[in-house]
Amino acid sequence: MRAYVVRQLVQLVVVVIGISVLSFCILHVLGDPVLLLLPQNAGKEEFERYRKLLGLDQPMPVQYWKFASRAVHGDFGKSWYSDTPAFGLVLERMPPTLYLTLAGLCVALIIALPLGFIAALRRHSVVDNACTVVAVAGQAMPIFWLGIMLIIIFAVRLKALPASGYGTWQHFLMPAFTLGAFLAPLTMRLVRSGVIEIMNTDYIRTARAKGFGERQVVGKHAFRNACIPVVTVLGLQFGQLLGGAIVTETVFAWPGVATLTVESIRNQDFPVVQCAVVLLALIIVSVNFIVDMLVGVIDPRIRVA
Amino acid sequence: MKAVSARSDVALNADLAMPVAATPPSSLHRVWRLKWGLVAAFVMVLVIGSAAAAPWIAPHDPLTVDIRHRLAPPAWMAGGTAAHPLGTDQIGRDLLSRVIYGGRVSLVIGTAAVLVSSTIGVLLGLAAGYFAGRVDWTIMTLVNVMLTFPFVLLALAVIAVLGPSLINMIVVLGVADWPLYARVIRAETLAIREREFVLAGRALGMSHGRIVFGQILPNLISVIVVIATLQVARVIILESFLSFLGLGIQPPTPAWGNMLGEGRVYMLNSWWIATFPGLAIFTTTLAINLMGNALRDWLDPHMKL
Amino acid sequence: MRRTMLVGSTLLLMLALAAPAPADAQTKDDTVVYALQSDIPNWDPPNSVLRESIILGYHVFDHLAARDLKTGKVGPSLATSWRSLDETTWEVKLRQGVKFHDGTPFTAKDVKASFDRVLDPEKKLTARGNHAKIKSVEVVDDHTARFKTDGPYPVFVERLTALVMQSEKQIKEKGHEYMQEHPVGTGPYKLVRWNKKQEHLLARNDDYWGPKPAFKYARVRIIPEQATQIAELISGGVDIIKAVPPDQMDVVNNSGQARIATSPILRTAMLQLDQAGRAGKNPFQDKRVRQAANMAADMDAIIKHVLNGLADRVATTVNPMAFGFDPTLKPYKQDQAGAKKLLAEAGYPNGFEVGFLQGPPVVEPAVPQTSEAISSDLAKVGIRTKKRYLGEVGPLTNLVRDGKAEPMFEWSWGYYSIFDADAIFFDVMTCNQPYSYYCNKQFDDLVIQGRSTLDSKKRQEIYAKAQKLAYDDAAYIFKWGLRGVWGISNRVDYEAPRDEVDRMFLVTPRKK
Repeated sequence: MRAYVVRQLVQLVVVVIGISVLSFCILHVLGDPVLLLLPQNAGKEEFERYRKLLGLDQPMPVQYWKFASRAVHGDFGKSWYSDTPAFGLVLERMPPTLYLTLAGLCVALIIALPLGFIAALRRHSVVDNACTVVAVAGQAMPIFWLGIMLIIIFAVRLKALPASGYGTWQHFLMPAFTLGAFLAPLTMRLVRSGVIEIMNTDYIRTARAKGFGERQVVGKHAFRNACIPVVTVLGLQFGQLLGGAIVTETVFAWPGVATLTVESIRNQDFPVVQCAVVLLALIIVSVNFIVDMLVGVIDPRIRVA
Repeated sequence: MKAVSARSDVALNADLAMPVAATPPSSLHRVWRLKWGLVAAFVMVLVIGSAAAAPWIAPHDPLTVDIRHRLAPPAWMAGGTAAHPLGTDQIGRDLLSRVIYGGRVSLVIGTAAVLVSSTIGVLLGLAAGYFAGRVDWTIMTLVNVMLTFPFVLLALAVIAVLGPSLINMIVVLGVADWPLYARVIRAETLAIREREFVLAGRALGMSHGRIVFGQILPNLISVIVVIATLQVARVIILESFLSFLGLGIQPPTPAWGNMLGEGRVYMLNSWWIATFPGLAIFTTTLAINLMGNALRDWLDPHMKL
Repeated sequence: MRRTMLVGSTLLLMLALAAPAPADAQTKDDTVVYALQSDIPNWDPPNSVLRESIILGYHVFDHLAARDLKTGKVGPSLATSWRSLDETTWEVKLRQGVKFHDGTPFTAKDVKASFDRVLDPEKKLTARGNHAKIKSVEVVDDHTARFKTDGPYPVFVERLTALVMQSEKQIKEKGHEYMQEHPVGTGPYKLVRWNKKQEHLLARNDDYWGPKPAFKYARVRIIPEQATQIAELISGGVDIIKAVPPDQMDVVNNSGQARIATSPILRTAMLQLDQAGRAGKNPFQDKRVRQAANMAADMDAIIKHVLNGLADRVATTVNPMAFGFDPTLKPYKQDQAGAKKLLAEAGYPNGFEVGFLQGPPVVEPAVPQTSEAISSDLAKVGIRTKKRYLGEVGPLTNLVRDGKAEPMFEWSWGYYSIFDADAIFFDVMTCNQPYSYYCNKQFDDLVIQGRSTLDSKKRQEIYAKAQKLAYDDAAYIFKWGLRGVWGISNRVDYEAPRDEVDRMFLVTPRKK
């Protein structure tokens, strides 16, 4: 068990470092921030001075090392756009995005679990095909279209929910549903395939042979084992969420970290982008790590790998 | 040698959401099951055909600006004319023509990007699966980094530096998706590697290249084809997402993605500007997905991935 | 099974703890809600170039002078009167009995401290350039300040509306970084809370020296997506939105919940042409080509169809509301045949291809559409534009500033809210200015003359000459003066401000 944990931890660290290096390089390729920061009539000496001040005149590996050593202490520098510590900015916006993500995952599960199960158990039936169509259709639909439609129906016409913003549980409903609908199709297909795989194992065949009723087979044995792929799937989905979150957050004016990242990239606000990318990576990788641990706990076979 | 982590196994299924057939169906049954695939294939032929025949079947030039007739609704609504069956956009360009021409861009990007990502992914997957050990670990870590790295940042970086052109879009989308292929091909390669004919080949002293490309790869063709087909749909969606952020193919060149982006602000009144490109994306990706599923069923119902 | 239950319940628990902070106890009736598309970077107005900073600055701070929205003239605010002692000295008398939000009284020391801070080259505040003509500020007594200017400064009084008065105590004791997030002003509202990029909550200053706001609270919500802003307006979530795209006006007007209000604003739009060759050699360095470009497009049709009539055609870059505007000068008429002839004369019988730099519709509404329409017209006379689009205003402005723009690019100018032709001529049309791609010595001379005298009549003549010169020389492709479009909820009364500064403290509940 210990070897497994250690191996996973090592990979976690390597991935986070890899991401920070990659984003660091990319950001420096994106453009010269000094031009952005100085007022219009600054002369050449001013540019040089500022460059020195920000440490931009030094070779990249040196710059990266400086950045990394400070980052470990939580100091990601100050936002070049708003002159406040980047770490604080990102941290402030992290909770709304995380809550939205969790809420979206829940919605996706509520939709996907039952549908996926039914589709798997009644394979190739009309229900199965319908579910496949819905799944594919759901993946093809532009998520902002769904978001705006929801706003029009529930906020404008019915006046039942607030159109956008963050604060009460009512503010959560539409964004969570939008994000959940974005995730549900793929989740449903994954659940379906996971359950199908389980249903074909010797384990289930044995249970059937032993004479257990179908309900028991499905309910007790299949369900329990299907949880493994489902839980794993959740972990995977978490990492792919940024795309859906950006659109959802923009449409619903959600004060999250996804929109902060995109805005900061546009404003060439390196410290904030760097901080956001690294922190997000850390969270995603940690979630995957936890999921792996959980799966290892649930199913001892996997640990042996 | 088992998967690097439990996640990889489930991830494999996850990537493809493919079930395992319990019993091989009869031939007639097979064809009947494929009916959706045939319908979908027919639709795709229509889509590809209309995109190819665009200059002949489009009623207008997609770039002609006519501000006196801007925001005209579709022909069946009040204020619509037969001259513009689907209406006009915000500067008077005919929507039907733009949707038809837009298909060209979307399909070209979809196919080309998939070619790029599948080539990279398959090569790396083969290497990881065949050589295993440290090569495997390196490539898999790279895969994990790429998966955790926000696609948005990568896209923004490439396009900010190189500019939003067709080629650059293909590059970005191609580079974003290769990890998927790598993972699947790697697992497959790991499995096939231990098969008798490969072991025999090694015993005979065949070079690595011959074994990989001559013996292993041919067995993977059907898998690759199926994945690639499904990925075309995914790439089309990603393109529309990039256009939402303003990074995709730039107007006035018609592409379904940028038409969606431009029509976004008109959702509340001139809804047709965003809806018809959206429907086009929806139909095309639905058809591609159904076709891919059918292809998988046809090529190898036992396909376990 | 138990383990999965454990996982499940942990997830649920985390969700339950996810309850965000409850909203403050304001009710709908005492709060007015205003929407902005993007948030301000800080609460230190002299340290930000954004219009949003100017707008929010008006709520928490005051200026020495303020514009009367009805007459358009500059009147007293924190300063009660002013006079010029000589060509380079102004004396300003200050209002008595004014207090900052922290209780300290407002005196001439605060005026000096505020100006010193902005003018200090070490501090690098973004507003420095606007007030650079002021050499120094002296404290004569508690309620009198004396300004020394660098030569005659005719727009001195106008510029008094452009700097907020900050507290000397804050500047000295709390320092720059503190001031970025904790504004202490004399204004009608105080800042209660700032959730970055989400919203600001302002509360009425009950000790305000001027008319007190009707609404006890003002909420400023940041809503980036225009469609969402409109949805919020018509569903009652927001009371006032600005920069409504002309194409969405009918949505608001037909909603029954809100209405549209428009007003001419000080901003003028144009397409700059690289006559000075800053970005390299290009066809627009030839006057005939520039004239042809002006004659190619049917600007009136564009205003009518694309902007729904919401613009005022101008012959040059001077806005109809600015001092010095010459109404007798008529804009170019569309004449595509004439344009082709001129191009042939200039050596381009088959036209030419040229780059066209474009940006997002952040300050100029519908600019993607109007530029497309103009491009289409230009192509008809042979000027084929190649579009280069930048999605962000900041980087685009930087490119222009650094001389890296295309030979033709979109530009608009807000005059820094100074209603004077000088405010656009100097920065946008004289030689060697960062945002100017036009250089004409004759024109420069006229501009310098115009800002070197305090005689209004003389200045008017000079500016008329300058406009004729710019027109004949077809300095840029001239477009129009903009009109702002606001969406206003039917539960409040509000007048669209012609200086583009929204004032929540002037909003009143609508009488039933």
